[in-house]
Amino acid sequence: MIADMREALQAVLGPVSEPVLLPGGASKEAWAVDAGDRRLLVRRAGGGVIHRHTLSLRHEFEVLQAAHEAGVKVPEPVAYIEDLDGREAFVMERLEGETIGRRIVRGPVPEQLPLQMAEEIAKIHALSPERLPFLEEATIDRLVVELDEVGEPHPAIELGLWWLRENRPPPRGPVVVHGDFRIGNLVVDESGLVGVLDWEFAHLDDPVRDLSFSLVRAWRFGADHLRLGGIGDAEPYLERYNELTGLDVRPEELDYWELAGNVGWGIGCLTQARRHLTGQERSVELAVLGLLGAEVEHEICRLLESQGVT
Amino acid sequence: MSDRPTPAELAEAIGEFLSGEILPTLADHRLRFRTLVALNALGILQRRLAELPPEHDAEQRELAARIRDGDVPAGTVARVKADVEARLRIVSPHYLRQAQGE
Repeated sequence: MIADMREALQAVLGPVSEPVLLPGGASKEAWAVDAGDRRLLVRRAGGGVIHRHTLSLRHEFEVLQAAHEAGVKVPEPVAYIEDLDGREAFVMERLEGETIGRRIVRGPVPEQLPLQMAEEIAKIHALSPERLPFLEEATIDRLVVELDEVGEPHPAIELGLWWLRENRPPPRGPVVVHGDFRIGNLVVDESGLVGVLDWEFAHLDDPVRDLSFSLVRAWRFGADHLRLGGIGDAEPYLERYNELTGLDVRPEELDYWELAGNVGWGIGCLTQARRHLTGQERSVELAVLGLLGAEVEHEICRLLESQGVT
Repeated sequence: MSDRPTPAELAEAIGEFLSGEILPTLADHRLRFRTLVALNALGILQRRLAELPPEHDAEQRELAARIRDGDVPAGTVARVKADVEARLRIVSPHYLRQAQGE
């Protein structure tokens, strides 16, 4: 199978080294391969069932191309391959740097990283939706549907949804958003942000929702006192974003969408556990997420209290 | 607590991991044997857990439905948070200690 894959890659890229499978999830495979002195990464469909609301690899490749053309720091897209040994795949540059959230927050954190995050997300939000006509608009109403599909009672999540309904700020956008912009999906080295990865959740949405996702406590990787992904304060990040976009996003909007991000991830934990329980992807890691969602529910309660809700 | 995976389902997931992913990598006979013994013990645990009566979630369901309808009297967050903390004491005591230490 590896020999077949190598042959299929050579047809597109010329001579390549033997592909090496990197650790990761079952829904998408990642293979490291070198073509001469070019370090490449092959992202290939896995055997399992694809997530709902995620882009096909063809569309993800197109988003990556659009981002790259617009000067967003991303791995350079190289080729889309419709049939790579029986599955869809694309090839991109393999960036050097750290992606593991725990290691990034442990530091030393590059001083420029918070501002660089603001700069990249501002560029993403300026991408032309016409260039990417397949992107769909998402709203937080979809969260209720997803929770109902799980079918378990979760009063903390209901409280979050209730507060979000009652306190919705005037909508902004929709613009092209990354959909999962946070520490863990960024390549970081000592100079700061090297690249934005994992574009499969790209869609059209309120820009502040996207901006605030990196504040969600689960993505602070234990460095909880630093609200921006365990690496910095939110204020300079927000200020730089406002400066670049000309928007006047208020701190209260960040608070609102941070809570929404927690509600979304709280439901995400439950739906991830369903992937295990239904047999789509058997994994202790996914199974235990169904229970660790309680951490996110606790954070929802804490954020509601800070809003003065008792 | 009605969350899934249930304790029996969790034991099952661990068993699958050990037999499917760890056991095939073990070349050492002694380690293989001891892992098989541990898997057998885990099977006992799983079957014992499966015998426990299912936990009732009627109260949580009713509370969730009331909040969905917008019926959120003062004190609701405190009550819900106390329930979540009871779950955290089982699934993530370290997280709870950290969150309460703030």
